[in-house]
Amino acid sequence: MEELIYTLKKQIIEALNLEEVTPEDMKDNIPLFGGGFGLDSIDVLELIVLLEKNYGIELQSPAEAKEIFTSVRTMAEYVMQNRKK
Amino acid sequence: MIAITGYGIICAIGNNADEVLDSLRQSRSGIGSMRYLKTRHSDLPVGEVKLSNDEMKALLGIQNDVPFSRTSLMGAIAIRQAIQSADVVLKGKRVALISGTTVGCMDVTEQLYSEMKSDDVPLSLPQYNDCGRSTREMAMIAGLEDVELCTISTACSSALNSIIVGAEMLKNDEADLVIAGGSEALSRFHLNGFNSLMILDTERCRPFDDTRAGLNLGEGAAFVVLQKDAPDAKAYLAGYGNRCDAFHQTASSADGEGAYLAMEDALSMAHLSAADIQYVNAHGTGTPNNDLSESKALLRVFGDKMPEVSSTKSFTGHTTSASGSIETVICLLAMQHGFTPGNLGWKNQIEGGITPTHGHNGVKLDHVLCNSFGFGGNDSSLVLSKCDEPSASEHYPNMEVVELACDEVTTKEELVALKEFVSPMESRRMSKLMKAAILSAFRALKKAGIETPDAIITATSRGMLEFSQRFLDDIINNGEEMLKPTLFMQSTHNTLGSEIAIRCKCHGYNITYSCGDDSEKWAMRDAVRQLKTGKARSVLVGCFDESTFLTDSICKKSGKPVYPEIFALTRVLVSKNNNK
Repeated sequence: MEELIYTLKKQIIEALNLEEVTPEDMKDNIPLFGGGFGLDSIDVLELIVLLEKNYGIELQSPAEAKEIFTSVRTMAEYVMQNRKK
Repeated sequence: MIAITGYGIICAIGNNADEVLDSLRQSRSGIGSMRYLKTRHSDLPVGEVKLSNDEMKALLGIQNDVPFSRTSLMGAIAIRQAIQSADVVLKGKRVALISGTTVGCMDVTEQLYSEMKSDDVPLSLPQYNDCGRSTREMAMIAGLEDVELCTISTACSSALNSIIVGAEMLKNDEADLVIAGGSEALSRFHLNGFNSLMILDTERCRPFDDTRAGLNLGEGAAFVVLQKDAPDAKAYLAGYGNRCDAFHQTASSADGEGAYLAMEDALSMAHLSAADIQYVNAHGTGTPNNDLSESKALLRVFGDKMPEVSSTKSFTGHTTSASGSIETVICLLAMQHGFTPGNLGWKNQIEGGITPTHGHNGVKLDHVLCNSFGFGGNDSSLVLSKCDEPSASEHYPNMEVVELACDEVTTKEELVALKEFVSPMESRRMSKLMKAAILSAFRALKKAGIETPDAIITATSRGMLEFSQRFLDDIINNGEEMLKPTLFMQSTHNTLGSEIAIRCKCHGYNITYSCGDDSEKWAMRDAVRQLKTGKARSVLVGCFDESTFLTDSICKKSGKPVYPEIFALTRVLVSKNNNK
């Protein structure tokens, strides 16, 4: 799980081009959207692409993704249970 | 007043005005299975024009096998119809053709892209990414000679903005007759782009319905002939407004500020009140966001005096850059034949939304309003009137124009200075040209001591090459799957002008010219017109271009000088009385 979280952080930083952020800066439970990390609706779409590309998970809509993307930890939990690759 | 003396149209519900009229009256949608576009997403419903490229060429009497873009072919068909319906002689008149498009000749680029990237690029290979090329092609096919050519690219409001610029040119005595509108063919590029934004409905679209789940793409072209004080008018262009939502690149604000301001401007120029409008052809794409935001804006303008409203995108699909002129022609048909087109497929009321009409026959329409909104919040609106009511003639003050400040960014190394204006978190998605544009724009505004200009006008001769190419590469390499929305968002030509507007909260006039080397000339001309006529007291004019490895190699092989890697030049112009 911890390894997956670290990998996910690196993938998020790359996919969203967060130039000045390191995986260490990204706390496991900090909210990714809204007041926390400050991501927005386009980042949601980029994260949906990330999950499909790296884990074969196909989400149908941004609404469905909302809860999954609460934090890096919730994302990792979802990936653990649903990954196809 | 500006008279509309002719029009032409080709779209999913007909290859000419008569066929379109018949489909509208019979409530016959043109949305269905894909026939001509070759894509992996062939299961998506679209509003295709029901003619192959060869059939269009036959219709136009083209006998050679030049690979004309579908955008140019449809445009030429609509232009010919428009001139014929206006029954005018162009010879001896100062004529301008203004076309709105975003994808331009992308259908041809897609086919030739692999060749462009190969080592032995055919020397004849044109630079198809310049969307002005489609305008030049359609003028040539339609046989227009000695005509000024202009291309406007403000995403889905492009064609409506062409009509607005055409009207302004006539009022300012820069032309005797303007053919204005837009054309856009379906392409894998923007189908995949909209798909990456997850706003395409897999069913037939349902604008303003509570269960709406996105838009269906369509294609087509429509052009109108505009003349000043012409006797045989089909209708008059009584008012118009071009405003910017200044909210987000791909989403409309919750209260529809840009749309509201555009409609208010159009009504005010027409000297009409909201209660005078009998029909509104809404932008109504069918996305959850647009239809709710537009509803709010309509309610702000019309309150409890809501006229009949419908979105005809349930007939034509969303014809993107061409939608503004296609829907203008639909409004003209409705006015001439006394009916309102229905909002097909509507069943369920949106809470807090408008209730669209199912359509009526036998109605007299004197004044109608047509909305057209684009990515970046480029929102425009027209008021069409049946009779030429003598309105107070617009008095232009004829101000003097002065350049107050100027700033240039020409190397990538300079982009570190962007931090003064934009945090790294905010610039995470920006392409190098976007960064250069923002840097030069905000440095110029700072030098000018102006926080928010009245208007923003941008020019880009070749557009957002880096992100467009990366998106094309991804389409090919990923087999049209898992594409990055960020790349598509910043492929539209107006993304720079609208990002500047978002960052300096400018809700004023906002437009982008993209017509090759003439882009800057048209942008400056518009800026001077805005200032001289007193419509704006300060205008930001940005000229933004970039090159890529691919464009460099094409230039080198064809013996042309390469373009600079980045070039961003921003001028802040003011009218003299404002120059304190």
